[in-house]
Amino acid sequence: MVSTTVDRQARSLGFIALATWAVAVLIISPTVRAQEKSPATDKAAQTVAASICSSCHGPLGVSTSPLFPNLAGQQELYLAAQLKAFKAKTRGEADAHDYMWGMATLLDDSVSAGLAHYYAGQPPAQGIPGNAQLTARGKVLYERGDASHNVVACATCHGEGAEGTSIFPRLAGQHAAYVVRQLEVIQHKFRDSPIMHGVIKDLTVDDMKSVAQYVQSK
Amino acid sequence: MASAFRDTVLRSGFLVAALALAATAVQAVPSYARQTGQNCVACHVSFPELTPYGRWFKLSGYTIGVRQVVPLAGMALVGVTRTKNNDDGTGTNTPVTARDGLPAFNQASVFLAGKATDNVGAFVQYTFAESYATDGTSVGHSGIDNADLRWVGRMGNESADVVKLLYGLTVHNNPTAQDVWNSTPAFGFPFTASPTAVGPTAATQLEGALAQQVAGIGGYGFYDRTWYGELTAYRTADGLFSVLRHGQDIGTPGGVARLKGYNPYVRVAYNKEWDAHSLMLGAFGLRVKRYVDNTDPASGTDSYTDGGVDAQYQYISNPHTFTAQARYIRERQNYNGSFAQGLTANQKDTLHTTSVKATYYFEHQYGVTVSRFSSGGTTDALLYPSGAVSGSGNGGPASRGYVAELDYLPLQNVRLMLQYVAYSKFNGGGTGYDGVTARTPGDNNSLFFNLWVAF
Repeated sequence: MVSTTVDRQARSLGFIALATWAVAVLIISPTVRAQEKSPATDKAAQTVAASICSSCHGPLGVSTSPLFPNLAGQQELYLAAQLKAFKAKTRGEADAHDYMWGMATLLDDSVSAGLAHYYAGQPPAQGIPGNAQLTARGKVLYERGDASHNVVACATCHGEGAEGTSIFPRLAGQHAAYVVRQLEVIQHKFRDSPIMHGVIKDLTVDDMKSVAQYVQSK
Repeated sequence: MASAFRDTVLRSGFLVAALALAATAVQAVPSYARQTGQNCVACHVSFPELTPYGRWFKLSGYTIGVRQVVPLAGMALVGVTRTKNNDDGTGTNTPVTARDGLPAFNQASVFLAGKATDNVGAFVQYTFAESYATDGTSVGHSGIDNADLRWVGRMGNESADVVKLLYGLTVHNNPTAQDVWNSTPAFGFPFTASPTAVGPTAATQLEGALAQQVAGIGGYGFYDRTWYGELTAYRTADGLFSVLRHGQDIGTPGGVARLKGYNPYVRVAYNKEWDAHSLMLGAFGLRVKRYVDNTDPASGTDSYTDGGVDAQYQYISNPHTFTAQARYIRERQNYNGSFAQGLTANQKDTLHTTSVKATYYFEHQYGVTVSRFSSGGTTDALLYPSGAVSGSGNGGPASRGYVAELDYLPLQNVRLMLQYVAYSKFNGGGTGYDGVTARTPGDNNSLFFNLWVAF
């Protein structure tokens, strides 16, 4: 009886998440669709990527320090949306303020679009295995969620392989420490993300670490 | 001692309140931050210690970002120092410094710092500093401080989307001011030292003896963010380069260093970055020929050969940051000129210095640092003569001690620092080290409170 109730809750959460996902893709995607690109803007973006972005995000978008996210293989629309949010200063967590607000204002719209396109096309970072126990718990959370904590399965939006889609970011191979940091700032609403605020509002710190270990291993 | 310490803290409190108000009124950040739009923490663990990105920014010739119309920035330091024993011990009731326990202005600097083109950038510091005499009077002095002008090039991989080799040219005025690791002397620890406390006499040529007196013209390359190599030649900063020693006293014998010809400096380093960690293992060397009398090119030369090894480790994360640096320099001194003129007791001397430092920061805001330093070398009674407080009774250069420091940054461009320096050996000896009084190394221990503001 209990499991049936939980299953029903899970199905209900899953439906809500799916509906949210569909609405978000339909409404948000066109507004952040990449700008018109040309070989010239792609070339300009590549130069900026090599000489500036790589300083922190690494050559070809695979970073060394977990302070800075991997960009290689990231969803183009997600990258474009983030650059836009940095530039508009609507992504407000401390790291965004310290590192990216200024950087993003240096980019015109065509170079921003070119960067999103460039990094989306790079081969993603390889997964890094972590703590086996945390990874196992993270896999459950990622694939099935946790109805008792109102946590929707991450896979609903981010994909079974955590490759992301549209404005939902790729998580596979992302630095675990970076993922935990983002979950924390989103949960505390330092970073604006209407969909995620509801999904992870009751996610515990331990579960954040678990799911981060899992996606990093993908 | 306890009441003296209390007085120091109280005075410091007033000073902090006044200057913190001034700082918040400024509401501005230095020129590189304005150029890149990034905050101080992007490049600095705590000024001037560089993060991996800060090192890349410097090696990129300060060219990342958008050129500013007026690339100016400012910096000011004021502090209060309490020396453990401020009586010079000569029985004449003479203080070591009349500013003991009183606010003292360290320096104010203006920076001309930023990119000129995508390949050319500069760091030029101009400083006004106050020198305090034992009678309480002070003399202001202004002149150029560290300066580094760069041209940079980038060599990519086949598809030109990865910079494999970052290379460039540098013209600067202080050996190791061009270096990007804070284990070398120019931007090494202590980052801020008391303007009134007494310090050991002996230092190698690489540790400030040539600062703002020479012109270094060098080339460097950083391959695959792993291997760094640099070759620089130092010459007297005269003629075309005289601006690099602007404000220095060049007319008085002993005023500044005057070098013979071009003098080589070489630097190699292995750099590895992984996860939130970075490690550097390096070596450097300098050979200079220096005229005995800087006003007389016929006065003969002394030669100095400095060899050093250094290492740096950094773990930079959030909220925890841990960094450590270590350096050892050994200097061979050949006093061909000075010995012949009876200015040194030996024709050949050696001097070696060691410095190790570790820092922890929480949330880039609360820091604690401990450092151990020591020096030693050949006894030379003419090079290290006796004299109250700053002399050496046995003609030895050896000193030993530690530094403990607490830092608090209420804003990224404001730092409050409490620094304690303690000596177990000073200028060659223990009790009565100066050869004139019964002063002990510990009498030179100092507690230094400092406020640093950049804008």
